[in-house]
Amino acid sequence: MEQKLRKEARKLLEEGEVDYIIGFAPGSLKFSTTPLIAKGKEEVASLVINPFMVNNLAKFLTEMPGRVGIVAKGCDSRSIVSLIQDNQVTRENVVIIGVPCSGLIDIVKIEKLAGKDRDEIDNIALQGEKAAVIVGGQKTELFTKEVLFDNCLACEFPTPQEYDILIGEPVAATCNRELGQEKMKELEGMTPEQRWEFWKCQFGRCIMCYACRQVCPACFCERCFVEESQPQWVLPVPKWQDNLIFQIIRNIHVAGRCTDCGECERVCPVNIPLRSLTEKMYGLVKEMFNYEAGTDKNAPPLMTAYEYEEVKDLIR
Amino acid sequence: MTNKKISKKDIGKLLEGWSREFTVFVPSKDRGVTEMAKWDGKDTGFFEWYRNTVIPAKSSFLPAMEKMFSFQKDTDGYHLELSQDQQKRILFGIRPCDARAIAIIDNVFTDSYEDPYYVSKRKNTVLIGLNCTNPYDSCFCTSLGVKPTQSVDVDLMLTDIGDEFSVEEITDKGKELLAAASVVKKATKADDAKAKTVTAAVSGMVKRKVDTKDIAKKLQACFSDKDYWEKVAANCVSCGICTLLCPTCYCFDICDELSKKQGTRYRRWDSCGFSIYTRMPMENPREEKWRRVRQKVCHKYEFYPMNFDVIACTGCGRCIRLCPVNWDIIQILSSVPAEQPAKKKVVSEKDVSYRY
Repeated sequence: MEQKLRKEARKLLEEGEVDYIIGFAPGSLKFSTTPLIAKGKEEVASLVINPFMVNNLAKFLTEMPGRVGIVAKGCDSRSIVSLIQDNQVTRENVVIIGVPCSGLIDIVKIEKLAGKDRDEIDNIALQGEKAAVIVGGQKTELFTKEVLFDNCLACEFPTPQEYDILIGEPVAATCNRELGQEKMKELEGMTPEQRWEFWKCQFGRCIMCYACRQVCPACFCERCFVEESQPQWVLPVPKWQDNLIFQIIRNIHVAGRCTDCGECERVCPVNIPLRSLTEKMYGLVKEMFNYEAGTDKNAPPLMTAYEYEEVKDLIR
Repeated sequence: MTNKKISKKDIGKLLEGWSREFTVFVPSKDRGVTEMAKWDGKDTGFFEWYRNTVIPAKSSFLPAMEKMFSFQKDTDGYHLELSQDQQKRILFGIRPCDARAIAIIDNVFTDSYEDPYYVSKRKNTVLIGLNCTNPYDSCFCTSLGVKPTQSVDVDLMLTDIGDEFSVEEITDKGKELLAAASVVKKATKADDAKAKTVTAAVSGMVKRKVDTKDIAKKLQACFSDKDYWEKVAANCVSCGICTLLCPTCYCFDICDELSKKQGTRYRRWDSCGFSIYTRMPMENPREEKWRRVRQKVCHKYEFYPMNFDVIACTGCGRCIRLCPVNWDIIQILSSVPAEQPAKKKVVSEKDVSYRY
């Protein structure tokens, strides 16, 4: 698979089809990758495909000039389509190299199960439904569904829907939305007072690094509302109230654009379960508008289209 | 060496004794992220999991958010109410890299202007170090002249020697603290030997290295190499993680929360990684991502040493571990071109005026 990817990427560069290739290269940490933005054809030799390619590369598309070849998992391709719908990316300028994805490994889940940090784990191997983790020479058998990201467990489109080249065979969705929604269900089971306390505590530790916004392909505004000073929507001080307002507004802004790639939650350095918010919004969008972000490049963006029937159920 | 020692099971008693006079801070994950937090009076289980905290110890002196003062306006004019933290504190378990980092940023807060918020907290705090015996694979402290086990920048230093900690008195402040503690015993020669063995073993455990010898010169030479910096910055997403959570980054912003006739002034961490950081009415000298990435690297390894004769990095590795895209400062520093090819030397006037 990797060989084929490198060959195709090289060909695209050599034939002048694209100016850049965006993909994944091995990271410097164990069990990691890093986004590779390659201009030279020699660089594509380090492209990899593995269950640690966590970033949503669509983020880089909006800042790249010229024609770009981009490696895309199911969720990445949906984000690309969503950007096309929003006129942020021109379809003709992108060559989508689709990579069917069987789910990415959530290293934090393994750290918790093994009681060890990333660098203390020797090996992680996925074999179908089983995952083998070796720590200090000791092998532990786990189930794959225990070690994948929640959003991967809930993924409906593991194979890119929009692509120019597909590397490998399409993967069927084994989507189990129940598994991917455990945290959210727990929150839904709370009383409003408990839920308020929960989020107050979570947002109390936000440091306003904006990593959640910066990695999100749906957050493509050139100027974010939090940076406005007239009017000042939120105080640029990490008080929990302002952090909460930021996330609520961000959620509404990405409604119909969020493809549930889970990046916002993964990158949060202080472990705020942000996907519980985006997941809820994702579900509401589907339920209320029968709309799934990034599945049809010709569809108008959710918030720009209006149908008369919607009015009956819009405010509740 | 006349070291002392304390049994691990007596640590609770020791902290309890100190709690009468001090507010004691220990490594904690109670708030859902690892940080130095107020000791709950019971739990000493942090030894089981503690390697280093995600939130660096600088936050004890320069918090992520700090109330500076509140003000009110009435018929007599404005009334200010200063907010200053005067409690006596102990930070228990700070790692050598983070202790070094505090010593490094002391320069900024005590240089031409003494920052009362920082300095008062610093003066009222006793630092008790805990030597590092399990560095991460992303640590590179030894390249910055910091050893994982060393006895500087703190008042007391503890070293794990099995069931006990060897305790080294570094300052008078530290000595005073031990004087009243009955659970602290005199160390034997065998204990000192154990501590030495631990120290020797750990120094080899920091595997990643970078040559920082001529780094300032190299950075100066490639300052205007736009191609290089663009390549280096390509996969950065411009979030604030590597700067806000860096133990030596000290930038802050000040803002007011206003309501009718009253308000509060806060300061909070700020980051040169954000484009808004340098936005001015007419222009923004660091609008482009590569300029911001360059600023971050050059500030730490070139400009800061020019001002204070020390690199503003201790190799704690947080920026590598926490980066959303695995942007790796060691790889960047190692890839700085040694010498500039003549044809590349394009120094625009704009660039020169934007240095520092």
